[in-house]
Amino acid sequence: MTKMIAAAFFALLPLAAHAEYEQVNLTVFGMDCAPCAHAIHVSMKGIQGVNTVDVDLNTGLVTVKLFPGNSASMRQFNQAVEKNGFAHKDAEIIVRGKLAGTANAPVLEVSGTQDRYGLSPTTANLDIVSLLGKTVTVSGVLPQAPKGKVSDTLRYKTITEVR
Amino acid sequence: MKSLVALACAFALPGIALAADHGPVFSYATPVNSQRELSFDTGIFARNGSQGTQLSTGSSFGYGLTPHLTINAFLPATFGTGYLPESRIVSGSEWSAGASWRFFHSVTSVGKRIESTASLGVVVPGPQNDSGVLASLHRAPGGAGSLAAGLASRSQYFWVGGGYTRFPEASEDRRPDTLSWSGVYGYRPAKLRRGYNQWDYRGFAELTGEHTGSVLKSGTILPGSSTKSVWLGPSVLAIFKNVAISGGVQAPVFRDASDSIYGRERLRFAINFSYLKYSSLTSSH
Repeated sequence: MTKMIAAAFFALLPLAAHAEYEQVNLTVFGMDCAPCAHAIHVSMKGIQGVNTVDVDLNTGLVTVKLFPGNSASMRQFNQAVEKNGFAHKDAEIIVRGKLAGTANAPVLEVSGTQDRYGLSPTTANLDIVSLLGKTVTVSGVLPQAPKGKVSDTLRYKTITEVR
Repeated sequence: MKSLVALACAFALPGIALAADHGPVFSYATPVNSQRELSFDTGIFARNGSQGTQLSTGSSFGYGLTPHLTINAFLPATFGTGYLPESRIVSGSEWSAGASWRFFHSVTSVGKRIESTASLGVVVPGPQNDSGVLASLHRAPGGAGSLAAGLASRSQYFWVGGGYTRFPEASEDRRPDTLSWSGVYGYRPAKLRRGYNQWDYRGFAELTGEHTGSVLKSGTILPGSSTKSVWLGPSVLAIFKNVAISGGVQAPVFRDASDSIYGRERLRFAINFSYLKYSSLTSSH
């Protein structure tokens, strides 16, 4: 039994290692001064798996880059903004996950988290049928969601298979 | 958590408009702590008049229970004898504790916020006596409330606020009620709108006013003991990440107070140091 569990664990390991957020670019409203930015920096760095955080006060852009194999969730990034009294707008993300669902209703599952997004293309003629069931890297925009919520739709710009 | 919030509200907040974290030095302002942020402020506040100089040093501790609710406590110590009127704009010898609730918060664009904050608190006589006419009064704990509203942005700041402090009678004595107000404008020049890992500077023009009621001594109102004054002056705030230093000076532009009771107050100044400890905690998922 123990061997079976171990075998299952190692079988799933490559999938987990390839399913995660690579970069999150959040636009944050309301930061007027250096301590505001510092607070966001500290909060983002406190999320397990975060490698670097850059905050631009003049554009409100918070750029978060993550280590491979992390299990950070989008909810945590939003929470890091909300707990400091600011508001997050659209987020541009680069994320790896398993492409599930159907050709008409594709879904991206970010393993290691409970994040799951319905995919919607920003441009037509993006054929993703051949990628169903595979691990993919997606870049796109998560629209702004109400406080405490994460958008359930990812408007993707590119989607490529992870080899 | 709810009971903690209720407790904090019941205790609610200092009416002293002291420099707090990243706001003006003398005026009421809206910023509150982030959730789980611990702030520590300490400073020197001086009031100079014709009958002497009163120096006070005070330390304030704040903790953000939520992104919009902060509890805080202020512990002062005074030196010198100024024989000066009651003031809630510049700290005296009272200890205070309370809570600030940012009940309105609108983030309208990058770098800009419009918000309103209400504060309630208790003001408790400290172990030190006041000087002048206030020195011989029996003192009872009082209550203080304040309200501030305004705008913060990358370039400009504007806040207006007011506060009221009331003390009950103690052995037929009563300290004067104080009504205070402020208006402040702040500006950060374009060249100083830099990255957060550089020093952040801004300047303020602060206008404050106070009206103190009459002193009640042995059941009798002391004639001429009420005061009115308006003060104006500049202040500067410098911040590097989580450390802030601010300083300001004010001179009277209007003064209606008895010289024989209080002397002639000529100058107020303050220097404040703040340390902000932000929390990195977020939920696991």
